[in-house]
Amino acid sequence: MTAEEIQAIFFAECEESLEAAEQGLAACREGTQDSDTVNAVFRGVHSIKGGAGAFGYVALQGFTHVFETLLSDVRDGTVPITESLTDVLLRALDTLSDHVTAARDGGEPPEDGALLAELTAAMAANAGAAPTAAPEPTAAAPSEPVAAASPEPESASDDFDFDLDLDALLDDISGEIQPEAQEAAADAGPPRWSVRLRPHSGAMRNGSEPLLMLREMSDLGGRCDVCDVSSVPPLDSFDTGTGYLGWTFSFPADVSEASVRDIFDFVGDDCSLAFGADAEMPPVQHRDVATPAPAPVAAPAEPVPTKAAPSVAVMAEKPGESEAARAALAANGSAPPAPPAPGQSIRIELGKLDKLIDAVGELVIAQAMMAQRLAGQGLAVAEEMAMIEGLTRDIQESAMSIRAQPIGSVFSRVPRILRELASSTGKHVRLEVSGESTELDKTVIERLGEPLTHLIRNAVDHGIEPADERIAAGKTAEGTLTLSAEHRSGRILIRIGDDGKGIDRERVLAKAIEKGLVTADTVLSKEEIDLLIFAPGFSTAQQVSNISGRGVGMDVVRQNVKDLGGRITIDSEPGKGTTFTLTLPLTLAISDGMVVNVGDQTLVVPLANVVESLRPEPHEVQGLGANRSMINVRGRFIPVISLAQSVGAAQAVCDPREAVLIVVETEGAGRAALMVDAICDQRQVVIKSLDTHYRSVEGVAGATILGDGRVALIVDVDSLVSRSLASTGAAASLAEAA
Amino acid sequence: MNNTTRILTVDDSPSMRALLNHALSGHGFDVSQAEDGMAALDWLAMNEVDVVITDINMPRLDGFGLIERLREGSRHRDRPILVLTTESSDEKKARARAAGATGWIVKPFDPEKLVAAVRRVSH
Repeated sequence: MTAEEIQAIFFAECEESLEAAEQGLAACREGTQDSDTVNAVFRGVHSIKGGAGAFGYVALQGFTHVFETLLSDVRDGTVPITESLTDVLLRALDTLSDHVTAARDGGEPPEDGALLAELTAAMAANAGAAPTAAPEPTAAAPSEPVAAASPEPESASDDFDFDLDLDALLDDISGEIQPEAQEAAADAGPPRWSVRLRPHSGAMRNGSEPLLMLREMSDLGGRCDVCDVSSVPPLDSFDTGTGYLGWTFSFPADVSEASVRDIFDFVGDDCSLAFGADAEMPPVQHRDVATPAPAPVAAPAEPVPTKAAPSVAVMAEKPGESEAARAALAANGSAPPAPPAPGQSIRIELGKLDKLIDAVGELVIAQAMMAQRLAGQGLAVAEEMAMIEGLTRDIQESAMSIRAQPIGSVFSRVPRILRELASSTGKHVRLEVSGESTELDKTVIERLGEPLTHLIRNAVDHGIEPADERIAAGKTAEGTLTLSAEHRSGRILIRIGDDGKGIDRERVLAKAIEKGLVTADTVLSKEEIDLLIFAPGFSTAQQVSNISGRGVGMDVVRQNVKDLGGRITIDSEPGKGTTFTLTLPLTLAISDGMVVNVGDQTLVVPLANVVESLRPEPHEVQGLGANRSMINVRGRFIPVISLAQSVGAAQAVCDPREAVLIVVETEGAGRAALMVDAICDQRQVVIKSLDTHYRSVEGVAGATILGDGRVALIVDVDSLVSRSLASTGAAASLAEAA
Repeated sequence: MNNTTRILTVDDSPSMRALLNHALSGHGFDVSQAEDGMAALDWLAMNEVDVVITDINMPRLDGFGLIERLREGSRHRDRPILVLTTESSDEKKARARAAGATGWIVKPFDPEKLVAAVRRVSH
């Protein structure tokens, strides 16, 4: 494994750590401040610091060091969790995220001086006896400039923080702080110098082995001059745990005392050392009287954390209550979904996974081909075939589930977006998330971020009103954004809802007319007006903001969602709010389709678009000009589109009365009926991109290989319908009139 | 007895495990990995090892908890265990020692120091 590969692992891990820390902090803000939550935040930052140090990202390490120190104080309960603290911590997390990005991409580290000052101030505020929560600068350490806590950042405080980091770094690098006993060593005389040592009982605890130390001393050039056995007692009073033996070792002058002390680094006070020629052999420490525990250092105020989860006194003033609250939380199970108990997991390169998915796709095709061949031989009902079919589907589902990821990874970015929006727009928004464990394909997840971000910005910018307006309307000052995800009949539904003012349809319509998107005399339903905001070049922001008022946002959103094979719908109520619903396929690789025959061609219509299929009664079909017709479906007229004409298939049925009509729902053009000769099958198809194998073709979403080995095109219903309706101009408005 | 020193590294951070593995394998150690204290216990129940190197702060079962559990049983009571710590303060060392660690490695570690620390506690 190369250093680059390890670094790649580190950065992937940073993402996870940041996410975990973010979730922890969010939970803290919501009031869940137990030790597990705080510790999760600490651990996230801590692990980034560890890697940053190992890979030499100095800026990243410096920042995480300060951040971690504050978190450690929070964990230990010396800094109380307040709203202003979580606010600082969240901002620090954003900066940390920028630091990670900078380290990964080799960019300039972000400006963090001001934030470091705030972090230091948060620590300093609680370091002194004065329990003032205000960021009033209490003198942290007498010698340090108090400027660190003052609101004007940069300059002075910057230097101060840098010094602080450097110290910490040097500490980490140099590891041990050497004792001042160096002069003693220098005095020890040129030829050889000696050391006397006596291991005590503790030197054999904890898997330590004094023999190894003696061996290491010899390796270093030491010579055992004397082994002091004078303290060994008579056999009947012999205690096997006590160190009775003492040794005097001599070393050549070129061996430094430090290197010898290093050998005893681990044993500490469990072994007495005496350097210098005239030093006395240290006395034997008997077990009962001895080892007053590694003297001064081993008496920390809090107990040594030998427990699995060090308990943290959070908000120490009411321990009883918080205990009860915690118990209550645990009891009703409303505790935050603790980071999913990490089962055993391995990391797989994505390429390998894609290869597997591809192979499974081929398997599905091969299996279908075999089924067809067998059917040709009159063996359609072979039992083995059914088994293979079942197994293939199992394999396919497992393979897909490997790629599936919880949508939480996308949702978790939202709090940061909201914080940034809050600082730029002044609108504070509360986030409610549900269904974050809903899984969908990685490719879908990856491409979901952008449209989701746009929709959220849009909701805050245009949907949610400023605080004063909200209060005037009898709402809470703080807006609420609801994000949810759920599976529904093989697709995934993502909703982004706000409780803002809803879409101002009058203004939208006025704007659309002004922009020439619709004519002034067009009569549109509420839903159709709402959909206008997706029209290219539409923007209603009275003041073009830098957030979502560029007028490119919403149509790009729709395009993105469409590219994912999904649809977007709007549900808006004036004064109550707006909800966008995204309907997406679980995967992009395989989809359900209806296989149809059109003349000499076989095509696939995505099932997602299909509403129903029917064979019309003659009186239900009405001619419209030379070669157009409409069909009356339960009182509603919808245009009939000849699929044969659209794709140029020969020898197709061209009278709707003799054909099969498939009613489809489209994004832009409402419903339409596709005229086909016959429906052959309804099954899963493996989608092959036409772009990569040929080139993009309008009206065609991709291709698939059928059971008999032939290639069938998958119809892009949306573009096909709108194109063929547009080509006969009036059809759309006539449909409207009808 | 096998000449190769067998090491179990316990750390929840994959990159840290990779780094340890990278530094140690190059020196002829036989390195196994566990992602937290619980995984380490499971692994140690089934396998033999000469030295355990563990991180302290980990989910499920942390490093101190792991050491405590190992020292409780007879099988690993005298097993050398090194903890990975980011601080070299005497207090932290005393803590590690009191918790039952044989020694410590200060992160970020220098590969040579790491190897020296392992050699110091292993046969």
